Parts: sequence; C-alpha cells; structure tokens
Amino acid sequence: MLELRAIRKTFDDHSGGHWVLADGLELQVARGQTVAVLGPSGSGKSTLLKIIAGLEAQDGGEVLFEGVDLAGVPPERRGFALMFQDFALFPHLNVQDNVAFGLREQGLSRGAARERALGMLSVFGLQAHARHKVWKLSGGEQQRVALARALITAPRLLLLDEPFSALDAELRASLRQEFVTHISAAGITTVLVTHDEAEARAMAQKGYRLVAGRLQPLW
Amino acid sequence: MQFPWLGALPVLFLALVMLAPVWRLGLEARSGATLGMVADLWRDDYLRWRVVWSFLQAGVTCVAALVLALPVSWVLARFMFPGRALVLRLLMLPFVVPTLVAAMGVLALWGPRGWISAWAGFDLQDTPWLLLYGNLFFNLCLVVRAGVDALGQVSAARVAAARTLGATPWRVFWRVEWPAIVPWLASSLCLVFLYCFSGFGLALVLGGQRYATVEVEIYTLVAHELKLAQAGVLALCMALLTGCVALAYAWIEQRLSTPGRSDVIALRRPGGVKAWCGVVAAMLVLVVFCAAPLLAIGARALTAGQDAWAGVLDAESLRAIWNTVRFTAVALLLATALGVAHALAARRSVWMRAAAFLPFVISPVTVAFGLLLLYPRLSASMLMLVAAYALLAYPFVAKSLGAALDNLPAHLTQAARTLGATPWRLFWRVTLPLVAPSLRRGMAFAAATALGEFAVTLFLSRPEWTTLTTLIYERLGRPGQANQDSALVLATVLMLLALLAFLLIEKPVPPDRHAGRPHTGDRHA
Repeated sequence: MLELRAIRKTFDDHSGGHWVLADGLELQVARGQTVAVLGPSGSGKSTLLKIIAGLEAQDGGEVLFEGVDLAGVPPERRGFALMFQDFALFPHLNVQDNVAFGLREQGLSRGAARERALGMLSVFGLQAHARHKVWKLSGGEQQRVALARALITAPRLLLLDEPFSALDAELRASLRQEFVTHISAAGITTVLVTHDEAEARAMAQKGYRLVAGRLQPLW
Repeated sequence: MQFPWLGALPVLFLALVMLAPVWRLGLEARSGATLGMVADLWRDDYLRWRVVWSFLQAGVTCVAALVLALPVSWVLARFMFPGRALVLRLLMLPFVVPTLVAAMGVLALWGPRGWISAWAGFDLQDTPWLLLYGNLFFNLCLVVRAGVDALGQVSAARVAAARTLGATPWRVFWRVEWPAIVPWLASSLCLVFLYCFSGFGLALVLGGQRYATVEVEIYTLVAHELKLAQAGVLALCMALLTGCVALAYAWIEQRLSTPGRSDVIALRRPGGVKAWCGVVAAMLVLVVFCAAPLLAIGARALTAGQDAWAGVLDAESLRAIWNTVRFTAVALLLATALGVAHALAARRSVWMRAAAFLPFVISPVTVAFGLLLLYPRLSASMLMLVAAYALLAYPFVAKSLGAALDNLPAHLTQAARTLGATPWRLFWRVTLPLVAPSLRRGMAFAAATALGEFAVTLFLSRPEWTTLTTLIYERLGRPGQANQDSALVLATVLMLLALLAFLLIEKPVPPDRHAGRPHTGDRHA
C-alpha cells in the first residue's frame, strides 16, 4: 500500500514569491488498486509523481510504501516504475534493449534480459520491431514499448504521467483499454495523473482532484 | 548526475597555466612602466598603426563576412538542391585547417608566385587584401553556419502570417526573418572579431611588415627585441580588449539560450532561373573564399615535383611529423580529461561555464609569453608545451560536451533512475552514449587545434621539437623555390593529418536523436 502523509512542497516563482504544490497532501492507494489524480496542466501532478518516485524531494511529510518510510531511499532502490508523457525511451538503444534496460539493472545477463524483453514485446505485439530504433516507431508503438519497459521489471508501483496525452483521440481510446488489461493482469498498484476525467474514470477505481495543494475525492 | 568536485581539476589547471601567467605578465608590465607607457605606445606612430590596423582588419572582416554570408546562409537554409548536405558538411573544413596551412593556401593563390597572381600579372604581397582574404577564408564559414542555424529557427507560422498580411518575400525577410536572426549573427561576428583581432599565424605570414597585427608585434618584441615590459603592456591591453568582446559575446549567447522551434520552414526546390542563379552565386562565393585556398594548396603541392615530396621522408620532416603527432596525442588525452571534468562540473555553476571560455579570450601569444615569464625553469620543457597545447584545446571538449549535457532531456535520466540505474550506471548506460557524438566532436576540434598549433610552439619549443607548423614557417623563411615547394608539401601533409584526425574522431549526430541548439562557435584560434 502506498501512503502519502502531510506532503508539503513549494516552489519559488519568478517574482520572488512561493507557489504551493502540496500543502498537507494525503493519499492512500491500496495494493492492486489504480488511483487517478486529476488537475489542470501546471498544477503539479507530475511533480507529485516524482516525489513518490524519489526523483524530487518534498519539503515536508512522508512517503510510505508497505508501511516503510521511503525517506533517503534513492529512486533505483524503490522498485517503482514511472512512465513519462513523452515516453522517455532511450534513443541510443533499440526497442528490445529499451525494454531490457531495467532487467540489466537488476543484474540479469544481456542475453537473458533480451530474451525476456522479446517475450514481453510479443505480449504487446511488437516482436517484429525488436531491433528497430525507437524513434522509427509510431506514437502508439512507442507508448506500448514504454509500458512494456515499465512492466517487465515487475514494479511494486506503477506511476503513469499523462500516458496518453501525446496520442490522437482514436489511438488513446484503444490504448487505454489495452493498458487497463495489462495492468490488471499484472495486478500492479498504480497512480495515474491526467487532466482528462473520462480517461481517469475509465482506468481508475478512485479519483482525486488536486486543488490548492490537497487532494479532493471525486469518486 | 552532478560532479561539482570535478571542477577542482580544470580550475587548478586554469589557475596554473593561464591566470597565474597573465598575472605575472601584469607584474612585468608594471615593473617596466605604468599608464605612462600605454600613452607612450599610443604616441608611437608605428605601434599606434599596429593597434589601429588590428581593429581595422577585424572590423572589415566582420562587415565583409556579414555581407557575403547573409545571402549564402539564406540560400542554404531555404533551398533544397543536389549537394546541399555535402556543402553544409564541408563548411566545417576551415574549422579544422591549421592557420599556417590556410596562409599557405592564400599565398598559393595571391602570393608572389600564386596562380591568380601569375594570371592577373600582379600579386597582393604587402597589401592588406592578403590578410583580409585569409580572415574571410577562416571566418566566412562560421558566419554562414550561424546564419543557416538561425534561419532554421525562424517560425514558419510567423512567416506564413506575414505573407497572409500582405508582406512580399523581401519584406518578410526584413520584418520577420532578419530580427529573428540578428542575435545569432551578432554572436558569430563577436567570435569573428575575436579571432581576427587576436589571431597570430595568418597575420605573421600574410601581414608582412606593414600589415602585421599587435599579436605579431608582441612576438617580435619578446623573441627578437627582448623588450619584455613593452610586450607585457601590449599583451595586457590586448587581453582587456578581447575580454570586452568576449563579454559581449557571452551576453548575446545568454539571450540565445531558447529552445528550438518545432514549426520550422520547409526546404523548397529552387523554382525558376532567378532562384537557381541565387544558388549558383552562393556556391561561387563559397568556392572563391573557402574552397579555393585549399584547392590551390593541394594542386600546387601535387605539381611541386618529386624532390619536394621526397623531402617529406627526410629526417627533419619525419621528426616534425612525429613531434606533431605525439604532442597532439598527449595534449588530446589531457584536453579530454580536463574538458570532461569541466563540463560535468559546470552543469550547475555559471562561473565554471564562463571559465570554459577563458582560454578563448587570452591569445596564445599572451599565454605563451606569460608562461615563459612565470616558469623560466620550465621553458622549453615538454610539460609546459603540452600543458599550453591542452589549454588551447580543452575548451572545445568542455563546450561541446557541456552543450550536449544541457540538451539531454531530463526525463531520460529520470526514467533510467526509476528503472534501477544507480548514478554511475546512469552515466555509463544513458548519459555517455547520448553525449558521445558531441564529445567526439569536441575532441576532433581539440585535435585539430593541437595539430595546427603555431604561436605557442614558436615561444616554448626546443629546436629538436620542431613541429610541422614551425618547420613550414622555417622553410618559408628560407630562400629558393625548392624551400617554398617543400613548405607547400608539408602544409598539405599537415592538412591531411588534421582531416584524418577529424574524420577518425568526429561522427555526425543522427538527425533524429535529441537535437540541441547547434553550436557554431567551434574552431581553433
């Protein structure tokens, strides 16, 4: 279970004042559950995910997972996976090596990691693209590779940052269903941030809106 | 990944090899005289002309480069024609050609026995045009590249809006494109001024008695007349002036650090006779000012005869080639280590970023003179020579790598961290592969700089450490056609070495990989 307790985060703005992202923010996500955080662009949803992932430090409060305070635990030791809105695929690696990246970091040999990556790619119908450069793939294909890369390490928590915002409406709808299927099958606890309420309702069991540094329950 | 502690290495190096020598130079100048000597220098007709001419030739080069480069850049930035990609790549050539080779190329065309001189019946020896032509050879490509990059950033939507509001293409250029590219051009012209004002090799060979610059005068005062105090005052004045221009450059550069536009103007095929005439004229300008000296030197060397080529294998030439290669190799290793350390340390330090520019501000002549004064016991030692080479070469590595690190998307490194990569593994598996092309490019410029180094070698080298540049200069000073031919052949060998080093190290960055703002300031001083 993921738990955020009294998270505080402020940024200095250009005029010398402070911009409050989180002010005593609380959130609980049960194991295997998908929770959506809604808010307009620039409201700080992505920063919230980075705080959970350990990429950004909060000014106050605690991030706990399975009851353990994650303060001081670096991102690579948390066992979480963060999917970025522009996919963040590594341009110097081919599709297969992108998917195998996390496995190599877990200590698997290159051969074993590639073999498992190929298996994961076949689940997503992308095995034919294994040796392709990632920038040659379509937006939808890149999105699938990003999810495959995130899921292959069996993360304890999946963080999705506007996962479909870079795609057109038609592709977004079909991929959304595909994502729900894969995530449910893997049973991974997931936090989704988005500005699209329909998307959030289609994917998450619970939804919150980020308002004035706190989360208000929507459903 | 931040490495602030790595900054200690380049900072210490800069302090020992550049700042302390310049400080020592200041002391030398003060010991000889104070402001009175500056006034004396200005009252001296001979020295005043040197200073005025140094300004004048740099200013005229800037104006000529702008006038010639603007239409050429526009043609290259807007038209798609066969060979365009090759032309853009060849624009890099003058950046790797050693100054002495360029000087030889200019002489091969316009010198007393030059091709054009023979055909036209007059030569440009002892006229200002020889140096101005040499300056343009080096700097026209720089301004053209800046212009092409700048025009590539102009918003297609703004141009389209201006057209729909009734502006003709000519009016669109002046009202939309020109204002957008002015800062870029100004930035490149600052560099051109800096290079011309503090250049040494071209001015020494092409300037002659009347049109040599202050840098040549400093060398003459130190090496031939032993007037160290006077040379010190001149060197300090030069450092102050170049420092002012460098500050202007840094100020403009800071305002250019905007993200590239995504709505770029699509290239179009030249339609009609007028457009094709424009393309041909632009290519002719590049051939006349940038390609002709290189073609001339190659052709003259090929027709130099067997004796001249056999001379490449004599003991003196082989030793010069060996010295050039080994000094370059050691300097490149040191420059790479320093450049990488500097770039990594400079990621969050504005001061470290500015420090990478310091070796461009202080001319090689000033550095070498300061080193001689500060470390007399180390004069003509291998350590000092290689350190001076590395000082001139490492900013290319630091700046190229620094720009690549700046352009590295943050989400890639963040993704790698969340996928389990430790900071070291992140550097090794993500950061390094992505910045490797830029690192190689910086190393290629550093290698070209070291191969063609001339001013520092003249000051700090021993007779047995003759390099190709000093041997060429020596042969040029000897009488007789055989020596001139020998110098031409050696210049060709040096040019081929520089090209070889560049091709071995530099590899073009695939266009689809993360593209940052093009860096047009790379070249050797």
